[in-house]
Amino acid sequence: MIAAAATSIKAPYIDWAAFSPIVALICGAVIVLLIGLLPGRRVREQIVPGATVLTLLATLGLTIWQWGENTSIISGALAVDRLSLVLNVVFVATGLVTVVMSLRERATVQAGQGEYYTLLLASLAGMAVLVAAQNLVTLFVGIELLSIPLYVLCASELQREKSLEAGLKYLVIGSVGSATLLFGLSFIYGATGSTDFSGIAAALSSKGETIASNPLMLTGLGMAVVGLGFKAAIAPFHQWTPDVYEGAPSPITSFMSVATKAAAFGIFLRFMDVAVIDEALTWQPLLAALAAITIVVGNVGALAQTSVKRILAWSSVAQGGYLLVGIVVSSAAGLEATLYYLVVYVVMNLAAFSVVVARERETTHGDSLSAFAGLGSKRPILAVPMTIAMLSLAGIPATAGFIGKLNLIGASVDGDYAWLGVLIAIGSAISLAYYLRIVAVMWMPDRRGDSPETDRPHGQPEIIGLAIICSAATIFFGIIPSPIYDLVRGAGESIGLL
Amino acid sequence: MSINWYLAVSATVFCIGAAGVMLKRNPLVILLCLELMLNGANLSLIAFSRMWGNGDGQIFAIIVMVVAACEVTVGLGVIVALHRRRLPIDADELRELQG
Repeated sequence: MIAAAATSIKAPYIDWAAFSPIVALICGAVIVLLIGLLPGRRVREQIVPGATVLTLLATLGLTIWQWGENTSIISGALAVDRLSLVLNVVFVATGLVTVVMSLRERATVQAGQGEYYTLLLASLAGMAVLVAAQNLVTLFVGIELLSIPLYVLCASELQREKSLEAGLKYLVIGSVGSATLLFGLSFIYGATGSTDFSGIAAALSSKGETIASNPLMLTGLGMAVVGLGFKAAIAPFHQWTPDVYEGAPSPITSFMSVATKAAAFGIFLRFMDVAVIDEALTWQPLLAALAAITIVVGNVGALAQTSVKRILAWSSVAQGGYLLVGIVVSSAAGLEATLYYLVVYVVMNLAAFSVVVARERETTHGDSLSAFAGLGSKRPILAVPMTIAMLSLAGIPATAGFIGKLNLIGASVDGDYAWLGVLIAIGSAISLAYYLRIVAVMWMPDRRGDSPETDRPHGQPEIIGLAIICSAATIFFGIIPSPIYDLVRGAGESIGLL
Repeated sequence: MSINWYLAVSATVFCIGAAGVMLKRNPLVILLCLELMLNGANLSLIAFSRMWGNGDGQIFAIIVMVVAACEVTVGLGVIVALHRRRLPIDADELRELQG
């Protein structure tokens, strides 16, 4: 009887080839966890990171194998298209950089190497699911699979109180965001009777009514935007960002600031530009207001900070505001500009964070600005990449950040939101104040005379290598931007935007 | 019975949870209130599922329950770690990091 019952269940067809990058990440996470249980120091310190890197490379290979696909898999739960594949590449690259940064990190020892790297891979799997989601259920599962491992990773430096505090704060605020998002999603389901993005779009257009005349849909959309805003650190839902970024272990901060942001904006793009695209005129002013507030709050908040990690946290809020502009205009050009800026932002932010990680281990000043005093004459090999990253984040010409901002401003003008373009320019001008402050501290002679003899310049060639590679890429893409254009081109059409 | 009653209850539960997260000081109670928020949303999902006559909302609600369990587990783990460091289990006392 059991056999008869079993045969009567018809499993949905799964396109395993298109699904393979996510499967690789999840299988890799399990394998890394099991390897971490083996005895021996060498196993933990070399084989576990090695297996993580192998998993990431396999994922990258499978993503490239699927390049050019444009299908929806597992009964429409996930989409494999240019948008999700480009972001997969971003996630894998960030994951590789994070593994290298974590090699000498205390957190990996305290939390256990196997667990640390497994959580990293699980979080990456959540991101890959999230940016491919085209169903409210997959969206929620993706966002939680991304967040829950990150809560643990933030708290992974068990002996340091700030790390635990950051983990708990992120958990509480992240969960409030998730619950708000979920409540919003339930209202959207209630208003349309469908959890599918395309089903939602069809239900909205068939009823012939606008979101504005449908209070259920309006409330739902509002709460969903608030929930996603928490994840993407959009003002006024950004307050957790400086605290959590400062408290978390630096490699994890760097991972959060780029990969989580990329994932949150990826789903923002897909949700807004697929499910509720017909109602763009209703939600555009809302998002435009949020973008404006975010740019102003992020840039002004960074001015008074003295910890470099906090400055970078506020700067990431401001950069999120710029990214939001590309979503506001809801055109293919806007989507590609956002995606372009995301790729660029990942490269330049990773350059900055690798220098922060390196300095944190060399001095006793932690991540405060004084750890960077006189770096230009002492360690030019670290000062030059940091300078390039700061100039690129500020959007100085001949860096990748400049081209990225140019694209966003161009898209905003084309989309009749020229004032947001002006605001990006103003925001960049304000941001020079704090980016150049870091640059000035590094290159001005160290007047205090007590050039910290506490420096412990021990070899960490891999971090210096990362800083150099990322900053070189920042300059390269600032002069020859076409490789990134080729990468993101077609992402708009692949989800049906004009 | 009109769906409005179900929605009213679910919104009330959600708001009690949200108020608790903001007002309560004990992280354990905050975790409890987070559960209330998620369950408020679950209730409305199930009500809507009944209204539309399809099972999507119910499946969604079951998945949310699993996710909520994971979240609480992690939350309790962090609280135990805090306790081992003999840190105060009081959200107001956690001010090493100044917002």
